[in-house]
Amino acid sequence: MSAEIALTGAAAAPPARPRVLLVGTALAGAAALMAFAGLIGVYLSERAAATAGGAAWLPEGSSLPLTPGNMAFGTMLLSAITMWWAVDAVGKNDRQMAYLALGLTMFFGVATINATSFLFVQANLPVSSTPGVLIYTITGSLIAMIVIGLVYAAVMTFRTLGGEYHDRDREGLTAAALFWYLTIAAHALVWYAIYVVK
Amino acid sequence: MAVTETPPETVAAAASATPQARPVPATGLAAVLGSGDHKVIGRLFIVTSLVFGLGVVLLGLLFGFEATSSATLDVFGSGSVFQFFSLFRVGSLFLLGFPLVIGLAMVVVPLQVGSRSVAFPRAAAASYWSWLMGALLLLASYAIDGGPGGGRTTGVNLWIASMGLIVLAILLAAVCLATTVLALRTNGMSLARTPLYAWSVTVAAILWILTLPVLFGELVLAYVDHRHAGQSFGNNAELFARIGWVLRNPTIYTLAVPVLGFLADVIATSTRARLAMRPVVQAAIGAFGILGFGAFLVTSSPDALRPPVVIAFGLAAVLPILAVVILAADGFRRGKPQLNPGLLYALAALLILLLGAGAGALGSIPGLKTAGTIFDLGVSHAILLASVIASLGGIHWWATKIGRQPAKETLGFLAPMVLALGSAVVVIPDLVSGLTGKDGSAELRPDWTGGIEGLNVIVLIGTVIVALGLLLAIVSLLPLFKRSDQSPQDPWDGQTLEWLAPSPPPLGNFAGDLPVVTSPEPLLDQRQES
Repeated sequence: MSAEIALTGAAAAPPARPRVLLVGTALAGAAALMAFAGLIGVYLSERAAATAGGAAWLPEGSSLPLTPGNMAFGTMLLSAITMWWAVDAVGKNDRQMAYLALGLTMFFGVATINATSFLFVQANLPVSSTPGVLIYTITGSLIAMIVIGLVYAAVMTFRTLGGEYHDRDREGLTAAALFWYLTIAAHALVWYAIYVVK
Repeated sequence: MAVTETPPETVAAAASATPQARPVPATGLAAVLGSGDHKVIGRLFIVTSLVFGLGVVLLGLLFGFEATSSATLDVFGSGSVFQFFSLFRVGSLFLLGFPLVIGLAMVVVPLQVGSRSVAFPRAAAASYWSWLMGALLLLASYAIDGGPGGGRTTGVNLWIASMGLIVLAILLAAVCLATTVLALRTNGMSLARTPLYAWSVTVAAILWILTLPVLFGELVLAYVDHRHAGQSFGNNAELFARIGWVLRNPTIYTLAVPVLGFLADVIATSTRARLAMRPVVQAAIGAFGILGFGAFLVTSSPDALRPPVVIAFGLAAVLPILAVVILAADGFRRGKPQLNPGLLYALAALLILLLGAGAGALGSIPGLKTAGTIFDLGVSHAILLASVIASLGGIHWWATKIGRQPAKETLGFLAPMVLALGSAVVVIPDLVSGLTGKDGSAELRPDWTGGIEGLNVIVLIGTVIVALGLLLAIVSLLPLFKRSDQSPQDPWDGQTLEWLAPSPPPLGNFAGDLPVVTSPEPLLDQRQES
């Protein structure tokens, strides 16, 4: 047994506030993207197996109209700009612009959910079929991710407005923006694999 | 989200390191239920997983007994044997393996990197309680005739939901651990200077983050399918086969990555020497983690194992372990080795890991056709047992940081040897049974008649020895619960920062300011300077 070691030597300078939230969000976002990658992998695999013999993928009477899917994805792309605008506005300490940009982002997020639910109605796809299980699982998971992203952005907005974050420290809002961009990336995957390829 | 935000008291503790500034720790039940202290959370994970682990070993014993004469013995009954088998397989990984590794890492990693807290302490606490809730619901699902092969739809749905909750909890813990190392290292500690155990936990956590979400997605898919009375993705029994890729190699290798980090840390300390070619050890640990990425097997088709790249990865998985072995042997040659229980545990775990990864490499050879046979079960058991042995060794090694007293040394010498012997006796017959390729070798048959009966007797003996080793290890750890005023701060002449913390570490971990780290072995530097 050795003698106990004392805490000696030069004391460390106070550490700069680490970007813990940003790193954690990046890891959580990577996990979410992997979940979508896995689901879309299963979707494409099942679709390839079903259509290999020349059979139709979607059940008779069902369809996946491209217009609502395009509208939803286009809206999400617009929200990327408004989210960037919000982060930039907080960086410039411009509160009014930050309110406006975050409000627009949330509006676009809700509009995307609305467009997707409209697509569900139009598709007339039974959930008990193989494509139904896959499509509702994947698009439903995407809606869940959008809702999480919206709540995250809202919480960080309130914290920013409450004074916790400001022009020199906007980690919370940047982390929420990062999650939102990853949500858009997931939406891009879903849009191409399901709405375009069908 | 608010739940993952560092709580104000932690930020305050990090900003002001003076002991007076720290909040008074809660006592009694509140100190357990409401704690965000990583040490409390880690202890909870460790104790609960060992309790579940005893149940898993008991199930293993019963299966071992039945397999000695599957035609005449009927321990479980033909209607429920597959459910118990799936409980045994899923329980060994998700109720014992993962939580035990996470529990040890949760206590040790923040101390090793000189952090006063784990990242997102409330999320870390949520990960434990979610995992516990998921584990209890999983057991409840079997109790109501659920689980793979179960007869009640609600029970099967509950099984899927509880598995999803367990996977989410593990993911949450993985995010907390990886973020702690990536963002909360003390001043001067670059990633290259990160202690090797903490480094290996980071690699493992990142691989879990990249792999387990795929399992979660599959569980959501299965839930939607079952909930709406569909069988698009197979019936209840086939549900287990669909998640089988998580239970086999290469995915299961990710659980064993911390074995290499523990080994490297213990050998460096026990030989009182700096590890030569440390970056190579770090790279080897990283490579072993990357080679454990098995999410591409999600389709559960044996075809997924046939491409040359996948075969090459399977064969290569053993190389990083060999690299660490060579560098560890070099440490023995250059240093002054001192035999201690931690070293024995590390060597025992390494031996079993080599057996498992070596067998995994052998199984990758296409002509042998071991995929889906009991050979896979042997590989999985080897990797799981290696990680359990290393985790028990870690608890022994860091006993004064985890509990209130050092562990019992005599039993600590005995337990790893018994565990290594038992593990080898459990694993090798299954590998031989799988290689012979007889009819009874299929791992996932609903009536469970795997293995050759003569060899299954040896497996039963091995399981008894493993159970004995586990009990010995647990008894050796009992002093950790006893109060003591004189727990040594650094019983092994450690090299890394966790040995600067008082034993047991207080809330906030360190009693004063930490010095700036200038090498991977800051305490060795201090000793040499003084």
